[in-house]
Amino acid sequence: MKNQMDSKEKSVKASKKSFFQLNEKQLGYAFVLPSLLLVFIVTLWPVAQSFYNSMFDYRLNDPTRSQRMLGSNIDLENYVDNYFYLEGQLDNLENTVQSEEATKTVTDIDEGVENYHSQLLSNDTIKQKVAKVDELLMNYKPVTDNELKYNKLDNDFAEDYREALGTYQQQLAELSQATDDEVLSKSLIQTSELLGSMQKNILESNFVGFKNYVKYFKDQRMWKSLWNTTFFTAISIAFELVLGLGIALLINRAFKGRGLVRASVLIPWAIPTAVSAMMWGFLYDGQSGIVGYYLEMFNLIPGASWLLSTSNGAMFSVILADIWKTTPYMALLLLAGLQTIPNSLYEASNVDGANKFQQFLNITLPLLKSSMLVALLFRTLDAFRVFDLIYVLTGGGPANGTESISIYAYETLFSQQNFGAGSVLSVIVFLCVALISFIYVKLIGSDLFAGRTK
Amino acid sequence: MNKRAGFGFYTFLAVFVFLVMFPFIWVFLTSIKPPGEIFSSFRWFTGNPTLDSYDAALTNRPLLRYMWNSFVVSTLTTALSLTFASFASYAVTRLPIKGKGLILGIVLAASMFPQIAIISPMFNLITGLGLRNSYIGLVIPYITISLPLSIWILSTFFQKIPYELEESAKLDGASPFQTFRKIIFPLATPGVFTTGILVFIAAWNEYLFSLTINSSDKWRTVPVGISMYQSEFSIPWGDISAATVLVTIPIVIIVLLFQRRIVSGLTSGSVKE
Repeated sequence: MKNQMDSKEKSVKASKKSFFQLNEKQLGYAFVLPSLLLVFIVTLWPVAQSFYNSMFDYRLNDPTRSQRMLGSNIDLENYVDNYFYLEGQLDNLENTVQSEEATKTVTDIDEGVENYHSQLLSNDTIKQKVAKVDELLMNYKPVTDNELKYNKLDNDFAEDYREALGTYQQQLAELSQATDDEVLSKSLIQTSELLGSMQKNILESNFVGFKNYVKYFKDQRMWKSLWNTTFFTAISIAFELVLGLGIALLINRAFKGRGLVRASVLIPWAIPTAVSAMMWGFLYDGQSGIVGYYLEMFNLIPGASWLLSTSNGAMFSVILADIWKTTPYMALLLLAGLQTIPNSLYEASNVDGANKFQQFLNITLPLLKSSMLVALLFRTLDAFRVFDLIYVLTGGGPANGTESISIYAYETLFSQQNFGAGSVLSVIVFLCVALISFIYVKLIGSDLFAGRTK
Repeated sequence: MNKRAGFGFYTFLAVFVFLVMFPFIWVFLTSIKPPGEIFSSFRWFTGNPTLDSYDAALTNRPLLRYMWNSFVVSTLTTALSLTFASFASYAVTRLPIKGKGLILGIVLAASMFPQIAIISPMFNLITGLGLRNSYIGLVIPYITISLPLSIWILSTFFQKIPYELEESAKLDGASPFQTFRKIIFPLATPGVFTTGILVFIAAWNEYLFSLTINSSDKWRTVPVGISMYQSEFSIPWGDISAATVLVTIPIVIIVLLFQRRIVSGLTSGSVKE
């Protein structure tokens, strides 16, 4: 009976067993693969894209540059729409202009445009796309699919067509100035403008190579924000390390109320940075802020409003808020490092007659070095990427006095919608972070992976 | 170290705890003042405590909605990244695969990537997928933060599980996957849970992606929602302090309940044992 059941179970399992019977190696790769794929899709690929974007004059709010184009392109949605109106208007003009010369000009333009248009349609892909776009437009639907909306053009053809459209636009504008008939003049201008906007539908390549980089290399605001970021990072990390180490040394002993201290230390770390920034914004406020009030009372600052309305004051405020939020975290990491140092070392050195300071210098510091460096690595990277604290507390102000490079990048990317130039700034952040990590990883060495791989 | 904790030590401790908690104390005291007493008044305690500010904080802006959004997004992010990360960390720490150092290196590097270098292509991707102003639209970018973090912390927990159990399971004829599911995973549950708390907090606190991707008020998360309380013309400090207190309460509860776990998770990433 039992045997029967076993074999039955086995046969059921066998049918869906393939994955569950992988050997260790296969299972290992199968387990790692999804995570690696995800990491590639959500971090490595976007960073590569940012690099690529930074080589283009790429602006979301400018229809002639809202795509990255290595060669010439045509915006079929607007082109087809404009062409439809242009045909009608040109036919109309041919009948209304008075002089023979003008009629000839308009006819020439009509023929010219038609000629270029048929050359354009001689490409089968474009012809099919135009037909589809036309259908959508007839039904008053927008073209949302970028594959359909844009098509590559031969660079020479695109340049010729653009040039021709420019000339036609000029010619019609001249005609409109020459005529006395006001109605005619207006419709000539209208058609001339239509030709102008059609010219903009034929898009030039917006690949600029390293031009964006050159631009920022000469940009005062970029250097200033880079300096602000470095200053903020260096000062806050230095204070956090010294204070954190001091606190860790002091509380590295048995005492009552450890839980309370631990909780009070964790709460600043755990609340969202934006929330703590709002809180400090209130404490620093020029009128109702208690920190400004007390500091002014003790004559530590020129006035309560100094804190947020001057560059130096705002930088001080931002750094203080950061120290408040992350020193406890630093202390916690260092405390954990301290607790791994065996007590016997201190006892032995006591026997040898070493004083407290010698013990600190010769036992504590060397043995704490690796956990200190790891803590510093994570903190430095976090501080260098600083965004939300400054963005919420000062907005980068006053007068860009606290603007970090991440904030400058964000403003360029999303307030100005300039994805090309903004990407240069984000690439700069990336490169700085890579450099910082490289230095730290060199210092820490293989200890970084200790306890993870054998 | 055998230092005794004396009176001076406790005084220092009290001052330290007070300084750390001071912003919370002051903000809480402000939140129960009548709005008229908040401006330019530095009295610590109000004579007539009131909940008016709380009422205003909840009615002027959809604070509860923000909290719900944060909760959903953080939970989804945590569940997703824990699933993938526990597989990956198990493979990296326990299974005989090649390139472990490289894999961990990639993971560590990915966790160091600045979000600002990811945001614009991610914005295009999410816009292209039509996922702006949705939960999934935030969960996808949050994986950039949570997955490397989870793998990094989880691998230390997996490493600590004794090998003997695995060996005996193998001898009993368990397949590698069965060993993972029946032996290792239950033993790693505390570690997975700890990692989960840290990932949840990280997702709850995220600002930049949330600010750019979910721009509609209905879909904002707590950090972004809170920063929207200030308008260009006036800053309603009463509302802000009440809102701050309200959104800090869940965090305080999590910290009080799980402080030991949080500390062990935080330190496992940086201390070698």
